[in-house]
Amino acid sequence: MSGFKRDHQGNAKRHNGPRPSGSAKPAAPVVRNSYTPMFEQLRDELEAHHDRRDRLGKASRDVTALSKKIIFSLQRVRKIDESLPQDIQKEIDSRLTEISKLLATMAPEVQGINRYRYTRSLVCLEELVEALTFAHYLKTQTLISHDDLTSIIEDLARKGVAAPEDAVMADANAVTQTPDEQPRQPVQAEAPTIDITEEDYLYGVFDLTGEMMRFATTTSALTSKMASGETGDDEPRTIVQDMHDLGSFFEMLPQRGGNKMTWEKKLEVTRQSVQKVEKLGYDCVVRGSERPKGWIPDLSSVDQLGSPE
Amino acid sequence: MATPMIDPALFDQLKAKIEQDTTIRKELDQILDELNQHVSYTQGVFSRIHSTPRSKYPPFLAQVEEGIKKEIETIGKLSAFASQYPYYKYNYKWTRMVQDAISTVLLCAWLGGMGSDSKPGEVGRLLTIEEVGAIFQVPVNLKDSDGFHVTIEEYLLSLINIIDDLSRLAMNSVTLGDTAMAVQISSFIKDLHAGFQVLNLKNDILRKRVDSIKYAVKKVEDVVYDLSLRNLIPTTAAE
Repeated sequence: MSGFKRDHQGNAKRHNGPRPSGSAKPAAPVVRNSYTPMFEQLRDELEAHHDRRDRLGKASRDVTALSKKIIFSLQRVRKIDESLPQDIQKEIDSRLTEISKLLATMAPEVQGINRYRYTRSLVCLEELVEALTFAHYLKTQTLISHDDLTSIIEDLARKGVAAPEDAVMADANAVTQTPDEQPRQPVQAEAPTIDITEEDYLYGVFDLTGEMMRFATTTSALTSKMASGETGDDEPRTIVQDMHDLGSFFEMLPQRGGNKMTWEKKLEVTRQSVQKVEKLGYDCVVRGSERPKGWIPDLSSVDQLGSPE
Repeated sequence: MATPMIDPALFDQLKAKIEQDTTIRKELDQILDELNQHVSYTQGVFSRIHSTPRSKYPPFLAQVEEGIKKEIETIGKLSAFASQYPYYKYNYKWTRMVQDAISTVLLCAWLGGMGSDSKPGEVGRLLTIEEVGAIFQVPVNLKDSDGFHVTIEEYLLSLINIIDDLSRLAMNSVTLGDTAMAVQISSFIKDLHAGFQVLNLKNDILRKRVDSIKYAVKKVEDVVYDLSLRNLIPTTAAE
């Protein structure tokens, strides 16, 4: 409930009903001159651009949030394994379904010239790359290539289109189609997708190193050994080695032109992550060897100390 | 695990892409250096407008048009090169300089230059974005294909640039005894100011620059006020 205003004598000011919105509002007096039509035309163009940017920005924020949730789920994984634990996989799948719907709505807006025009409204892609590369690493202990990742994201964007349109298509088949609508079906297979630029990919992989560091820290704390692939080899490759590989990967890449600051900053964070994991590896070798195999900290005793009896 | 963490082919692919990007940027820088040279020369010539009486405009504008011709040539080169790559990926590198180039053309045309057989030049002529595109022989406001073009934002920002120049000229033309010019500039700037009010602006660079127009308006209004106070406004232009 809103209050009302009083005039200087204390009487409630009359309010002429709800404030008229839009049409009834007296238009601001616009001085018309010979240039007005030109500016009006340009205004419409600019508005279309601003609206598109806003729409993309909103969808992008949602994709970012969902990607972050996927990463949180993945951080609950405890080992590198072909298949993720079922409950986690389920969480991820449902998030991905939502993401694919969002991507499908965004895709038509970022075709051709608009891909780079709205790059700054598409920061979510970096986050999505981070989530997907991390999932791929936890399953295969490898870094997914740019091409493979592009096709995964293309599939996501297409799936998002297919989902709501299935029903529509069924209806459309029942009703006689106008000739204009005929070419729609083949077009649907070629639904617009979102390009993942090298920048999106590389910055996403930069962030992957941070997630790997966190993963290495939790797993080594809980299992007191470094995460590694489970193969028959007696010396499976550990995450320490992987971090070293990733670190060198970035050190060896030539520096990108354009935004040097971002690159430098991300590289510095990666260096720190590599060193943190290095330290963990060292700890495991030095102190881990003193522990009997399969030894885990006896957490129950801590609880007993705290509780009476 | 037999497979390595990172496929060596992936590294090579990314490295090649980054190197290619660096090469493109270097070539762009070269073209932009050239453009910068022509634009600053033309701007330099223009600085003399403030001490040039209107009777001397024709030879003066001819000299400006020489500089503009060079700008057009270089923008042609830029357009051919940049059109091979995504426009907005590198647009930030040249947008400022292209704006300056457009400004020289707009100002030249407003002062009566850039005339053609079909459209003789006259003082007070504002080129539309389409006319600017025609002069530089590049498309404008491209939406369907990805290539070099003049954007709406660039055109509007260039327009704001010449407002600043003209407000200064209003003062100096009075000094040179050409009060009619000051009055004409004043009404032009006020019209443009009203035009910019039509736009719904977001909080971006355009908004910031548009906000600065009011200072130019104030400057020319002060000049016109001074003139009217002393009955110096030519009666024909006053109406």
